[in-house]
Amino acid sequence: MDPSLPCLLLFTLVGSVVSSFDSRHHNSTRRYGYCVLGAGPAGLQMGYFLSKANRDYIILERNSGPGSFFNKYPRHRKLISINKIHTGRRNREFNLRHDWNSLLSDKPELLFRRVSSEFYPPADAFPLYLSMFVKELGLRVQYGVDIGRIRAAQSAAGRSYILTDQHTSDYTCSVLLVATGLWVPQKVEFVGSDLVEGYESISTDPEDYRDQAVLILGKGNSAFETAQSILGRASRVHMLSSSPVRLAWQTHYVGDLRAVNNELIDTYQLKSLDGLVEARLEKIVIAQRKEQSRRRSGGGKKERKRQLYLTLKKYVHSREEKNGSDVTGEELPGHHIDNFPMRKPYDRVIRCLGFRFNFSVFDSSACPPHSENAKGRLPGVTAWYEGKDTPGLFVLGTAAHSRDYRSSAGGFIHGFRYTARAVHRVLERRYHSNRWPSTQLLTTQLQSWILKRVGEASGPYQMFEVLGDVVLLRGSHCEYLEEFPIQALPQFSSLSGREVSSHGLIVVVMQYGKKKIDYLGRSRAETDWTKAWQSNFLHPVLYYYDTLPTEEEMKLRPPGWPLPRPKAIHHMVEDFLTEWDGPISHIQPLRRFLEHCVHTDLRAFYAESCFRLSLTHRKPPQFCQQGYLKHQGVPHSGRPRQHVHDAGPAPAEQDAGTSGADPAFPNYLAPAGASMSSGLKLDL
Amino acid sequence: MMWMCVAVFLLWMRSGGCTDKANTSDLIEYTAADFYEKLHSGKMMFIYFEHQVSPTISLFLVELEKSAEALQDYGVLVGTINCNKELVQTYCTDERLLHTAFLFRGGKEFLSFDLDTVFDVNSIVSEVLFAILRDEVKYVHTDADLLAMEKAARGKKDIVLGYVQSLGTQEHRSMMETAYVYGSRYQFILITGGPVLKHLGVNESSHSSGVWFLHCRVHSGFMTPMTPERCPLTRMRKPLSTLSLHAFLQLMEAPLVSEVYDDPSSVQPPQFPYQQTPQVFLFSRPATEHLDLDTATALAWRLRGLALLLLVHRQSPAVRTPDEYNAAYRLPEKSSEVKYLTLHSLDEVLDIFINQEKEEEEEEEEEDEEEDDSHFGNVDDEIAATVFENRGNLLDMDSITQLTSENFHTAVAQSSLTVALFYLKWDAVSMAFLSSFIEVAELLADSEVHDVQMSAVDCGEWTDLCAAQPGSAVPFQPITAFPSVLLLRPRESAQPYRGMLGSEALHRFIMMSRADCPLLLSTQDDVTSFLQDVSHPELTGYKPDRVVGLFKTHTPTGLQVFTAAAKSLRGDVLSGLLTDGPAEKWAAGLAVDLPAVLVFPSWRTHTHPSALPASSSAEELLTHINTARLHPMPELTVENLPSFLWLGKALLILFVGEEEDEIGRRQNQALVEEMRGVVELGGWRMERYLPCWIHLGRTPAGMSVLGSYLGSMPPLPALVLTHLPSGGGVYQYPPNTPIAASSVLLWLQRVEDGAESPAGTLGEDSWPPAADFYDFLNIMDTQEADSTQQQSPKEEEEEEEDEEEVDVKEHLVSNEATHDNLDSNTHSEL
Repeated sequence: MDPSLPCLLLFTLVGSVVSSFDSRHHNSTRRYGYCVLGAGPAGLQMGYFLSKANRDYIILERNSGPGSFFNKYPRHRKLISINKIHTGRRNREFNLRHDWNSLLSDKPELLFRRVSSEFYPPADAFPLYLSMFVKELGLRVQYGVDIGRIRAAQSAAGRSYILTDQHTSDYTCSVLLVATGLWVPQKVEFVGSDLVEGYESISTDPEDYRDQAVLILGKGNSAFETAQSILGRASRVHMLSSSPVRLAWQTHYVGDLRAVNNELIDTYQLKSLDGLVEARLEKIVIAQRKEQSRRRSGGGKKERKRQLYLTLKKYVHSREEKNGSDVTGEELPGHHIDNFPMRKPYDRVIRCLGFRFNFSVFDSSACPPHSENAKGRLPGVTAWYEGKDTPGLFVLGTAAHSRDYRSSAGGFIHGFRYTARAVHRVLERRYHSNRWPSTQLLTTQLQSWILKRVGEASGPYQMFEVLGDVVLLRGSHCEYLEEFPIQALPQFSSLSGREVSSHGLIVVVMQYGKKKIDYLGRSRAETDWTKAWQSNFLHPVLYYYDTLPTEEEMKLRPPGWPLPRPKAIHHMVEDFLTEWDGPISHIQPLRRFLEHCVHTDLRAFYAESCFRLSLTHRKPPQFCQQGYLKHQGVPHSGRPRQHVHDAGPAPAEQDAGTSGADPAFPNYLAPAGASMSSGLKLDL
Repeated sequence: MMWMCVAVFLLWMRSGGCTDKANTSDLIEYTAADFYEKLHSGKMMFIYFEHQVSPTISLFLVELEKSAEALQDYGVLVGTINCNKELVQTYCTDERLLHTAFLFRGGKEFLSFDLDTVFDVNSIVSEVLFAILRDEVKYVHTDADLLAMEKAARGKKDIVLGYVQSLGTQEHRSMMETAYVYGSRYQFILITGGPVLKHLGVNESSHSSGVWFLHCRVHSGFMTPMTPERCPLTRMRKPLSTLSLHAFLQLMEAPLVSEVYDDPSSVQPPQFPYQQTPQVFLFSRPATEHLDLDTATALAWRLRGLALLLLVHRQSPAVRTPDEYNAAYRLPEKSSEVKYLTLHSLDEVLDIFINQEKEEEEEEEEEDEEEDDSHFGNVDDEIAATVFENRGNLLDMDSITQLTSENFHTAVAQSSLTVALFYLKWDAVSMAFLSSFIEVAELLADSEVHDVQMSAVDCGEWTDLCAAQPGSAVPFQPITAFPSVLLLRPRESAQPYRGMLGSEALHRFIMMSRADCPLLLSTQDDVTSFLQDVSHPELTGYKPDRVVGLFKTHTPTGLQVFTAAAKSLRGDVLSGLLTDGPAEKWAAGLAVDLPAVLVFPSWRTHTHPSALPASSSAEELLTHINTARLHPMPELTVENLPSFLWLGKALLILFVGEEEDEIGRRQNQALVEEMRGVVELGGWRMERYLPCWIHLGRTPAGMSVLGSYLGSMPPLPALVLTHLPSGGGVYQYPPNTPIAASSVLLWLQRVEDGAESPAGTLGEDSWPPAADFYDFLNIMDTQEADSTQQQSPKEEEEEEEDEEEVDVKEHLVSNEATHDNLDSNTHSEL
């Protein structure tokens, strides 16, 4: 990790520039409205929004270029965030659903695809893309500024954060946006943990593992990535961690093991010498064996490869001073259980346990608390990503993942690019009185607009169950706000600057089903819209509230729900093509739900009907008021009048004659199950 | 099986045999001797004794001749005896028997028929057979009778129950012919209505004949457990005819479920006599054999008369159907290909055949438009319903340019006028209008209009363009209402189209938009030709309203206001501009001063323009122009009603009917004139009313308006006062009073004074949803009550996922390690 010569040169250059800058502003610290810490994807994403809003901001970066994490990680140099260029669609918003690397900007061509066309792109492409992003948008990034201390200061003007760099220069910031990512390797202390190599420093040359038995601690993507790379050379690869493998395609969480990395599961299940084991790392001991070294002559010992044994804490005799390097035969598990799975020694033990947030630079006055989840590796933040107890300090990017740890995409570029936008909107509201942007719509247009959003919007799609669209009902019109962090709904009015009227509000969220099912089994997909709430795949869910939920209600929401119990809920049945535009299955049920929420008929009428209704009523239905009466009626164009069925509450019609059930009991619930349960396998 | 062959033969004779025998008559003219001979031989004879031939009688004789052939098949001789030549005692002597025909059987008179009941071949055959079969075919009146019959038949015979609306019809004949053939096999019952129908679940007003098969012979435990004493019944779904009834009865004899060990594709198509019947295959596995048979039987009962059910044993090696399918079927005529299905419920099978039947029926009777497609669920929005029903028709978008974020600027720059429709595919109104839009595009292309580019933007795809953010500036604001039409001209901001979303209005608007705006007029002749359709001959048919501005060029403010107003009226109104000298000269002729804006509504001769008051802004001028364009006594149409409702006046509406002739036309004209008289006579008192009229021929939508006002259709003309500011009352001018200006005014006064009582009221202003929404929360509450409720405050502390997980693992490790688990879990890893 020695910096190469050009790097050193650059540092020196930057240093001199900084010092000359210093001398001109002698005796005055630099002040900024916004300081963004880190020029990674999150920092640059926020930089773009600040730059677009013409804010006084600076992005501080300790390295010489943006996204330096990606110069080293992932170690095996393949990104597993998909770069799907060919979607068959030209909708830019829609295409972002399948582009997990690009950042948001108003430049249509400023996309990751410009630097790589590979589906799993090489890691080197990412810093390249970020440099391009900085350059083309003209973002203000100051490289080579290594902030070593952050403290808060309270003055008459309000709270500010003072950042001190390696040259003890200070930066005073009204708002601090921490986008430093996670880069401190996560370690677990156990006896012998010093014998373990780290992911950050292992060799990535598979040849170095030739015929070696390797134990990998961890079962995440970095662990599997490492395993996959050495699979063809190592003699045995065992993977150990406390919990079983979570497969991303089962959990819908992209941080879990991706299929692209799971070759070892194959070799394990096909019994080809590799394996997965569960144990708590705190309980294990890694040790070298004592006796062997005693018997050997001194010269032989040196040549001999080091052999590492795994044993359990409880077998190891308690010694006062235990350096963990040596154990006796009785201390090995094989001595106690003759078929102990990991009784054979390993040549290497590699730790791949991920990374943690660097709390060390924060002074106690500015330090966000440790998150309650994720083993405390992340800072705890509010639903709008402000550090708890640190007003004016926001956490962006991967470090902000504690909000949706192991559930949504907030820890990943394709997720946090949207949370950065949401945070920016909060900032605009709080510090510049710019209300959350909204689109004013006629209520009769709401249905189409919702269908448009669920059909294309990438934010709520990627940040499912975290960001949702909020519709403020106002009678004949409504206001549509995009991508609000729904956990912050109790603080909606203050965060967005928009009021909820007595007509209430609707929140549109994308959700996965919560049931554990056979993810490739026959009944995995629901197609009947009346059973939409049992959808297992991502599908839109609408929550209607007459007033904003309180914080208490939010806290006590039903288990697994992203929002508290609403007045009414509507699930739009999952769709194989993720195009929710079926007239019977998607659109009409949605319209009836919206009608229920706004208490009015939202159907469209032909001009002839509007003519009749206008003459026979003082006011025709809303569609006629907003169209026909404004001279924009829809004439029936001479086609034969179609028979329109009187609306009944019944859903997808079934043969009414076949079910003799109580008429008050809907058809679809009729106990037709008797025949269904026969062996004919009538279910899909 | 003999009876079946006979039956088929007989029926075939009936259906196919007619024509070749038409020449040779089976009607025998008997001599008295022949008659007696046949009579005494015990033959059945249907005889008419001919006295004298009147036109009615000769008609009867024609029918009798036809029936002779038919009845011969049933062993009945049909003949006449000419009483003028032969004398048969009493029958030829009694003049009163002139109107009677006789049936002889067993050597004596069996029954006599009045010619009123045996008037044609159907009635003759049916009545004669009915008489012959009077012991076999029962006539049932009440449900109790039917119940008794069912009890008697139970375990012995199946019952065929026919309902015919009246005796002597084709249907009655079909029943009787069938009863003759199958009489020994089934118990036939005939009804002509009454309470029995209720038991059968028939609405008596439906007026269609029907046949039911009551399965009384085989006792089955499956059907209708509610009424175990009744025999399960199957309704014949096809219209009643001899052939269909025959086929139906055959089908009732078919085995309920056949079990096969072959693949459906190699199972033979149904053999005679079922070759017209579809086959349904279900699959059975050894493990669930009995259950499967039960399911199949249950379905077979429901499919009885529709299809044959075969249960395929999957374990047989010959069965090659992939496991993903659980059913298959084969339709008779459409090749003999087997179609495979994956069913979710048995109802789906039923749907296939019921719908197929419906399709067939639809093919037979094209005009039956009422047929609903309920299996798709109903679309209760009339525009969405139209679009949904036309979903099969792909729109031909060739005549319009697809605008995209990429080609937008070049495409707009290419044409002097681009008409752009912004639409969403899932918006029914968008799609309804899109087809009108294409119609206009085609019309323009056909009429060689090349300076207009018709284009569309799919906002579901080009979301950035529709949001006015394609990366470079566009001349419009984000589109938030769909459909929207913008008129785009190079280097100008977009003009929204604000007219009706139909092809006619749009076409007119586009044609009018092509005219210069305002047209610069420089001479008196220009003005005349502008006002007389000469300058825009292609617009003559549209009867456009015109506006002319008269200005002096050195007072630019008024001119700017006028130009702005003219621009925003572009497409709707033709505007012209005349300045300085010629303007002054012309204004003088009309006795107005410059600057002036003159409106020439289409409904008035152009020698009498309305001069408008001076306006300081374009909006104000627009209001003035639009007000001046309104007819003081308009004919309300679907298209123009909004303009008049906007005035907010009470409506005094005269409804006139469609004229059949010149007289009617003149009458209607006179009525309208009389209404004008009301305006003139009323003077200022009429200011608060808008007198208007609706021509129900041109505006049929007015019909239901009138009906809704008064509760029923009154005689026309009808004069109605509605939309009064004071309330929702609708008043009707006394229907029998002639409509005269003075009496109408008096009536209006009485209404104002509260002396008249309203004939109806306007409907509610609130429009609650027409349909209930599907309450998912409620459904979830019933099915998974605990998962939908808010947590109680104390619960939350325990929920820490990670902790719990770790605990479990810890347990696992300690167990394994301390040898506590002696269950030798051989393959547990740690």
